[in-house]
Amino acid sequence: MGEGAAPKPPRPAWLQEYELVGKIGEGTYGLVYLARSKKLSSRGVKIAIKRFKQSKEGDGVSPTAIREIMLLRECMHENVVKLVNVHTNHLDMSLYLAFDYAEHDLYEIIRHHREKLSCSINQYTVKSLLWQILNGLNYLHSNWIIHRDLKPSNILVMGEGEEQGVVKIGDFGLARIYQAPLKPLFDNGVVVTIWYRAPELLLGAKHYTSAVDMWAVGCIFAELLTLKPLFQGLEDKSGPNPFQIDQLDKIFKVLGHPTPDRWPTIGHLPHWQQNKSLIQGHKYDNPGLHTVVQLSQKSPAYDLLSRMLEYDPTKRISAAQALEHEIVLNCIFWYSTSICSGTSIIVSVRGDRQILRYFRAEPLPGRNALVPGQPGEKIVVYPARPVDASTDFDGISSTQSSQIPSSNSAAATSASATAAPVGATARPHQQMPIVGIQRMQNTSMGTFNVNAQANIPVVPANMYLHRGPQQQQQQVHQQARRREAGNMQNTGSYQPPAKSRRM
Amino acid sequence: MADFQTSTHRQHWILSRQDLAQKYQIANQRAIQMLLKYGATRVEVQQDGSLVYPGTPLETERNGTERHTSLPEPLTIDEEFLIRRYYELKIQQVCAAFAFPNKIQATAVLFFKRFYLQWSVMEHDPKHIMLTCIYLSCKVEEFHVSAEELGKGIQQDPQVVLKNELTVLQGLHFDLIVYAPYRSLDGFLFDMENFVQGTNNSSTQKLQELKEAAKFVVDTVILTDCPLLFTPGQLALAALRKANLEERAVDFERYLQSLCDRHPKHTFKELTLTFDAIDTTVDVSRQPKEADLMPIDRKLKYCRNPGLQDESKKRERKVKHKSKRVSQDTSMTTTVDASPMYVC
Repeated sequence: MGEGAAPKPPRPAWLQEYELVGKIGEGTYGLVYLARSKKLSSRGVKIAIKRFKQSKEGDGVSPTAIREIMLLRECMHENVVKLVNVHTNHLDMSLYLAFDYAEHDLYEIIRHHREKLSCSINQYTVKSLLWQILNGLNYLHSNWIIHRDLKPSNILVMGEGEEQGVVKIGDFGLARIYQAPLKPLFDNGVVVTIWYRAPELLLGAKHYTSAVDMWAVGCIFAELLTLKPLFQGLEDKSGPNPFQIDQLDKIFKVLGHPTPDRWPTIGHLPHWQQNKSLIQGHKYDNPGLHTVVQLSQKSPAYDLLSRMLEYDPTKRISAAQALEHEIVLNCIFWYSTSICSGTSIIVSVRGDRQILRYFRAEPLPGRNALVPGQPGEKIVVYPARPVDASTDFDGISSTQSSQIPSSNSAAATSASATAAPVGATARPHQQMPIVGIQRMQNTSMGTFNVNAQANIPVVPANMYLHRGPQQQQQQVHQQARRREAGNMQNTGSYQPPAKSRRM
Repeated sequence: MADFQTSTHRQHWILSRQDLAQKYQIANQRAIQMLLKYGATRVEVQQDGSLVYPGTPLETERNGTERHTSLPEPLTIDEEFLIRRYYELKIQQVCAAFAFPNKIQATAVLFFKRFYLQWSVMEHDPKHIMLTCIYLSCKVEEFHVSAEELGKGIQQDPQVVLKNELTVLQGLHFDLIVYAPYRSLDGFLFDMENFVQGTNNSSTQKLQELKEAAKFVVDTVILTDCPLLFTPGQLALAALRKANLEERAVDFERYLQSLCDRHPKHTFKELTLTFDAIDTTVDVSRQPKEADLMPIDRKLKYCRNPGLQDESKKRERKVKHKSKRVSQDTSMTTTVDASPMYVC
């Protein structure tokens, strides 16, 4: 209860609960900051604070923020990001959502392997990540929530600490409850970043189901295996809801043409009819998902993946089924039976039948996806998120690096991250921010450590130290990094050119 | 969300009668104290989020008794209830005028109720809060209506709708998912269809009529304290029981028994007692007549803004005249207009 005559504090009181570390991302909705709690009960705990600007048309609090808040307030699951607080700024009607901070995300982890380590992600980590994604998704789906925007950058992974290596599904700005919506789900415009978009959406389905999330998980699974997006279509950005022929083309090339045989209701989808010549005229040979992901067609991993990438959404494997996934080997026997009965995979057995379960086979998935249980396994140390420490909470830069134009904002990122150590004073400057030195405690990761260090001259942490004509490649990397650091939408080289946001 | 049991609705917004009474009392008492302290009850949210009672601080120690005599009379807890009930009905009327889906009015009414568990109507203007609750409910239920559209439809400044949005969100503790009894109603009717043996056209027809009748009962039930005391399932069943007294579509007792057989967590007796309690709560809280409300509304205005009291003495006759006109005309816009805007 303030006194009427008291001078106005310039900023909301809740700001005093946090010590701002810097900016870690930016999106259409607003900015994301990293802060440390100053509360006694949680002193020093890292918090990600997502600021939602007022919606542009002078229509109050952003609907995206409302959606995210209302769903996350109801969610309580280890594999779903935890909304710890919501703060308000009455001055400009903005909302600040405080989350438990996750140091990594799959976008960065995959990129680190692809660009820095040039080696695939180990089986244990892939399996543990996938299991936890499915576990979180199963929770959401059984609570009638479709995420609708699953992609690697939305799959967060906790850094050092009690929850290290735990997956958190994040960014619920597009999520919806699908139990009796008042308007068809389609009304919000097409969602899901185009590369992870399910074929029924690409073909114009108006009502869709939780199966769209499973398609995206399939794409993410493949990307974890190959380090490359599985279907990298070019997005057509003409008009409000263009037909994404290139994306479909990329899918058909790998999975083969969908047929009414495989997908009986495909004929009802608008684009299948309207763009008949475009889609149906084309012939696609050599469907070869297994060659793309380099898995044996008999492996449980391949079987699980192919069920996630099932064309017909009604046949696509659900999150719950995927967690219990099993494949019955001795294929000839099984297939003939399943054709006869039409349904079941229950087979009268001879001795040679074998049931394989992806998640029950070695290596077993674990809670800490980043650190394998078995001793002797290599541990990869992933870089910490770059932090632009020159930013103020309101998005106003307050230090010298702010003079760098905003299009270059990540130059400020690396510079300032080097200059102003982020809560880890002992971190050697020249290794920032490529390797999270602070997290190296295990000697067994030597090889990777060396690798990472060997990379340093190639990809400088501070671009000002490494400018030269022979280093064009680094510049490209730097630029990619720069774009990402300044843009949570990840317009880096392996991200889709843009994504459709509704509203 | 399918799981009502773990919902914020279940955890935070279904109270015991004692808690409910206590919350109303705390809000009422605080408003009265602020009236004594500042000479007015209305509260304003500053740009930094802090609260201010913009009345002139009174030097209570020295001149307290002097000023007390001229202070406006605060509302009682019962009067506050009547004011809230009036605006809750208004919410339903506005939503009907806009032809919003039913869920929107239910969510808006629940938002309004939840907000005033922490605040007194003397502190935050119920007319403005009502509009913000409708606006927010549209956002939450993904039925987006712009503040401008909403403002136009009820001849109000869109800024009035917007300015309280954060305050209402905070008052709701950001718990935004509301389970209205209508959906439970659908569920139970679906279940009844299976229960009614030998379903034929006439019994389906009867059940349909029962559903419509029960919906009307629910419309009234949510205007009472019931949604803050009982679960949506309990409210829906109580409404079905009541509607069935007239419709006679099913043997309700037998249906309830079969329900209990299938869900051993509940007993027939316990459920019946719950429904009786709901019926009683609904029966004792009748919709106040507008004519009865006018004096309470005037009291509310004066304690929110005592300056009006002095002015009004001059125009008292005019006001009386106006209130007569209002009480005859129940249309929404007229009444909304009738209460002068105290835009702060």
